[in-house]
Amino acid sequence: MAGRIAPYVVLLIVWTVLPFILPRNITDLLVFAGIYAIAGFGVSLLLGHCGIVNLAQAVFYGVGAYATAYLTTELGYPSIAGVLVGAVISVVIALFIGWPILRLTSYFLALATLALSIIGNALFYEWDWLTQGTLGIGGIPKLNIGSFALDTPMRFYYLAWTVAILCLVLARNLTNSRTGLMLRAMRDAPDAAVSLGVNLQWLRTRVFMLSALFGSIAGSLFAHYSSFVSVQSFNVDKSFSFLLIAVLGGARAPWGAIIGALFITILPEYLSRLGDFHQILFGVALICIVVFLPTGLAGGLEMLWDRLLRLGPKPKLKQAAHAE
Amino acid sequence: MQSSGDILEVDGIGHNFGGLSVLRSVTFAVADKGIVGLIGPNGSGKTTLFNVISGFLTPQKGVVMYRGAVLGSQSIQERSNRGMVRTFQTPKVFENLTVLENIMVGACKNTRTTILQDMGHTPRSNREMRTILHDAEQTLEKFELTALRDTLASVLSAGQRRILEIARAVVGKPSLLLLDEPSSGLNDTEIRNLRRWIVQLREEGLSVLLVSHDMGLMTVSDRVHVLYFGEIITSGSMDEVKQNPRVREVYLGV
Repeated sequence: MAGRIAPYVVLLIVWTVLPFILPRNITDLLVFAGIYAIAGFGVSLLLGHCGIVNLAQAVFYGVGAYATAYLTTELGYPSIAGVLVGAVISVVIALFIGWPILRLTSYFLALATLALSIIGNALFYEWDWLTQGTLGIGGIPKLNIGSFALDTPMRFYYLAWTVAILCLVLARNLTNSRTGLMLRAMRDAPDAAVSLGVNLQWLRTRVFMLSALFGSIAGSLFAHYSSFVSVQSFNVDKSFSFLLIAVLGGARAPWGAIIGALFITILPEYLSRLGDFHQILFGVALICIVVFLPTGLAGGLEMLWDRLLRLGPKPKLKQAAHAE
Repeated sequence: MQSSGDILEVDGIGHNFGGLSVLRSVTFAVADKGIVGLIGPNGSGKTTLFNVISGFLTPQKGVVMYRGAVLGSQSIQERSNRGMVRTFQTPKVFENLTVLENIMVGACKNTRTTILQDMGHTPRSNREMRTILHDAEQTLEKFELTALRDTLASVLSAGQRRILEIARAVVGKPSLLLLDEPSSGLNDTEIRNLRRWIVQLREEGLSVLLVSHDMGLMTVSDRVHVLYFGEIITSGSMDEVKQNPRVREVYLGV
């Protein structure tokens, strides 16, 4: 038992200590990684468990962000109201859009979500009475927990990652439950799943709603953290980034989104120090992962972990020692 | 309509594919706790009829009645939840799931937790998961698949897939089992086991509709219907059907 808990304890210590030893700008990136991971869980669940390519996550991310921005600045409501209103709107949109489009399959569905992303961005742009268009909404208040203001990257880091870990636990619970089982069945052989009584469309719609919920929460956190939101943050590129998080991290492992989010936020920062061609290097890194690690970075790490366990005869010796 | 002792009544089913008439007014019934066989050469419309009954295809003419009620536009999933489960001509197992997990999927339909309860791992969700696991383990044992419990379905042989598909279909305790070519790809021992299980399932209260061109397996049926070019040309016990001159001519090729 101790052996199983040990890695988590080490991770927890590393997680707690990190912001103290890292420079401020890297901590800032880690906050974004945490926020992106939350949105990434949704995309990852859809991709890994339903085989659905979701290119619309930036819309829900935007809905969450604008709900927070509008409610806290224009109407002066508390932060929690922004988070909740954003979440409700996102889930409702996902229900009404997901229900008809989730009848589609494979690339038709991917294209439909892409269209949703484009339409969403256009609406954010057009509805400037709500979003202030390209000007953006500034002065979004910092989050407070009691009288404690989360006004530094370090302070926000703990909140963003606590929410991210919570979402990870929820996503993992889901994949280990009967719903997860039915989702994986549906991904492998939809006809057979339906004839066993699985309600395909409703199940897919519900996961889409869940994904939208994660996206919206991430958007609200983003708005509070950056204190400024504008349409550029919710364009199609952002949807691609969220998909990239799921693909690179490995969509079948719930924690893949975390690895993917760290990868796309931290790596470009270090590569950019190498000069102008850093984007090419980033592209090469992406291709390498897709080619050599078809199960994503999470899959690669799991493989490495298994190999390390097999190499080390220590666990057996330990057991023997216990037996004596 | 017919007497209420029938679980399934197929009445005047007709279906065309682009001018080609695949089924022409097919009528038959499956008695409660009965085993009915449907035989016919390739292209006789067996699979089309099967798809009509299980809801994969809406017939252009005629009705399918289940437990005395017209099925009409009821979806495949609704039919399944009312106790009608099918297997496929080419077994469709869940490749990336283990044998046990495949069967667990079949047991899910008797549980009702929501996605939120599942996410929270609430006591109810956990209890239902245990029920699913328990039912699946029992079915695993019954179909002698225990040794393959944690094997991925993608590595199973054709025969093992076939049996897994049947196990997965019956774990949810259906009332009517629709088997599409259950013996193809099975070796002699497996076919013998299959016969034994079909008989046993009937004793447990299940009705079975069997589509096959395997005469050996067909002898488990109480009644056999011979389908030829979209029409039932004769019905009766297997022995009676075999003696029918038209069947000998069109089906057995003698």
